[in-house]
Amino acid sequence: MKNILARYGFIIIITAFFIFFSLYNPAFFTIGNQINMIEGSAVLLILALGMTLVVAMGGIDLSVGIAFDMGAAFAVVALKEYDVSWQLACLVGVLGGVLVGVLNAVLIVGLKVSPFMATLGTFFIGSSIQRIFTNGGGPISYRRMPKEYRDLAVGDIYGVPTEIVIATVVLIIYFIFLERSILGKRLHAMGLQRSAANVAGIPVRRYMFLALIIASATCAIGGLIGSANIRMFTPLAGFSYLLDAIAAVFIGASIHSKGRPNVVGTLIGVLFLGMIGNGLNLMGLNFNLKDALSGLILVGALALAVGQKRLR
Amino acid sequence: MNVVSPIGRILDMLPITVFIILFFYLSINSTNFLSLPTFELILKQAVPTIILSLGLATVIIAGGDDVVSGGIDLSIPAVAIICAAIVANQVTNHQTSLLWGLSLAFVAAGIVGGLNAVLVVWLRMTPLLATLATSVAVVGVTKVITESRRIGISDPTIIFLRDGDIFDIAAGIVLTVFVALVFWHLVHRTKWGMNLQATGGSRDAAKVSGIPTDHFVVASFMLSALAGWITSSFVLARGSGSSPGSEETLLLEMVLATFLGAAFSPRRVVTLWGAVLGAVLVSALSVGFISIGVNVFWTGCIKGTLILLVVASAAAGRDR
Repeated sequence: MKNILARYGFIIIITAFFIFFSLYNPAFFTIGNQINMIEGSAVLLILALGMTLVVAMGGIDLSVGIAFDMGAAFAVVALKEYDVSWQLACLVGVLGGVLVGVLNAVLIVGLKVSPFMATLGTFFIGSSIQRIFTNGGGPISYRRMPKEYRDLAVGDIYGVPTEIVIATVVLIIYFIFLERSILGKRLHAMGLQRSAANVAGIPVRRYMFLALIIASATCAIGGLIGSANIRMFTPLAGFSYLLDAIAAVFIGASIHSKGRPNVVGTLIGVLFLGMIGNGLNLMGLNFNLKDALSGLILVGALALAVGQKRLR
Repeated sequence: MNVVSPIGRILDMLPITVFIILFFYLSINSTNFLSLPTFELILKQAVPTIILSLGLATVIIAGGDDVVSGGIDLSIPAVAIICAAIVANQVTNHQTSLLWGLSLAFVAAGIVGGLNAVLVVWLRMTPLLATLATSVAVVGVTKVITESRRIGISDPTIIFLRDGDIFDIAAGIVLTVFVALVFWHLVHRTKWGMNLQATGGSRDAAKVSGIPTDHFVVASFMLSALAGWITSSFVLARGSGSSPGSEETLLLEMVLATFLGAAFSPRRVVTLWGAVLGAVLVSALSVGFISIGVNVFWTGCIKGTLILLVVASAAAGRDR
């Protein structure tokens, strides 16, 4: 029994929640709702993958939301004010994320500030810049955005929603990069024992610099989809993803045999959080009660995931 | 012997120099900045952050100062807000006494502190993750209690905390000094406190010496929850009631104050007095910038930059 719990405890809980939600409201189990659930988790998955990269090399990124916001802001402003093509707007959006990554990298690698404090500082500065730029936090709306840009969120490719396609591509790239390449193994080595990695000849500082930029650029892709979905840039919208991204990464790490942050684990964590959000919505609960329940389930899920690791 | 180079000395002094220059600038540009009323205002504004930072500093002292794997408690502001919500709800909506509201809030704070302790000590969950998750759950439960609405409170004791004086000094400041002294005595002047520090200094060494380290980590989380509970009265006093959503600002100010304080300590470690100083400096910056008419949206940006500058110079100092 202990062995079963140690190996499959979290999977059993996911299945139990799945069966419970399906029985409570049959609409939960429909293919349409399942696709909705996955589509609704796409942006979180992209941000959580960026976070996975940073946590795998031993850091933490509290500025994933800022990179998301910058991606959205840069792209929407480029489209609205400079009338650029949708492709160039996407590029400019990703560049916004890169700038956030460069700031983090300079602080963490160059100035040796701890990742927590550095990304908290970036969060402060990034939030403030958004308030200054929007004169207090008003959204920048652009209703007439090009159809192709809007399709990043609402379009489909051969019947599959575009945001699922984008998230899947990012997932596959991250999987190959972090789990199947020498570079990924080196990043994991840095996370496990930085000084040993350094002694082993891994250019720790250079890798860390690049990884921080890649992580923020990835989060900016989430921002592009977010802004395309609501046809506007909403300041500080990215903040709502921060805790879920951290939780997904740690749930993923907890169910990994060696307790390491990993791409597949993060995917499972994101889908679990998406399922809880979707299932509670379909239960028709009061908005406040739904927030309280999802918070309590999150604590319980994390406790279980960590407890499962201890049983091994 | 360690010989410190002139550049090293300059870098060592940089955090304090930056603040001296800033305060000099603020006092030139705002005639009232260096006055006693402004100083009192700064301290009054800093009260909730000071008490929260004392709680956070205690957890860090007991758990070690590595932000990810060491001790940290991000749920203290959420505890303060849920306690404020419970008290306001009881006193205003259910017409109970303040004491009853405070007692219920005390139990709630104890439950959150206990939950954090179970997650961290028993399940060995990373404190950062455990307390972040607890914080979200607590904020969710707070929304159920308040139905996401502001609940006003007009209890005379709460009004006294806001407007009253003790020996001609604002009551909030006097009580905060008392709380700080109690924390300081407990952590720095008792055998129990020495063991708590030893636990955070090196968990393995403390264990080998026979110190029940888990006991001290549990105690630190209970103390931080207590700090959250105490803060709730001042949060109620400041806002004349409980307001939803104020935990985020408190969280950022608490973390900044505590780690900023570490940048001023000679060994660059988190200390109780460092946390108090950090909270006062963060409050002084806010008041100072407002007094010289800086756009409130710029304040966060300037504060963030300054704090990064200070923390970066502290990191450089640690490297040498």
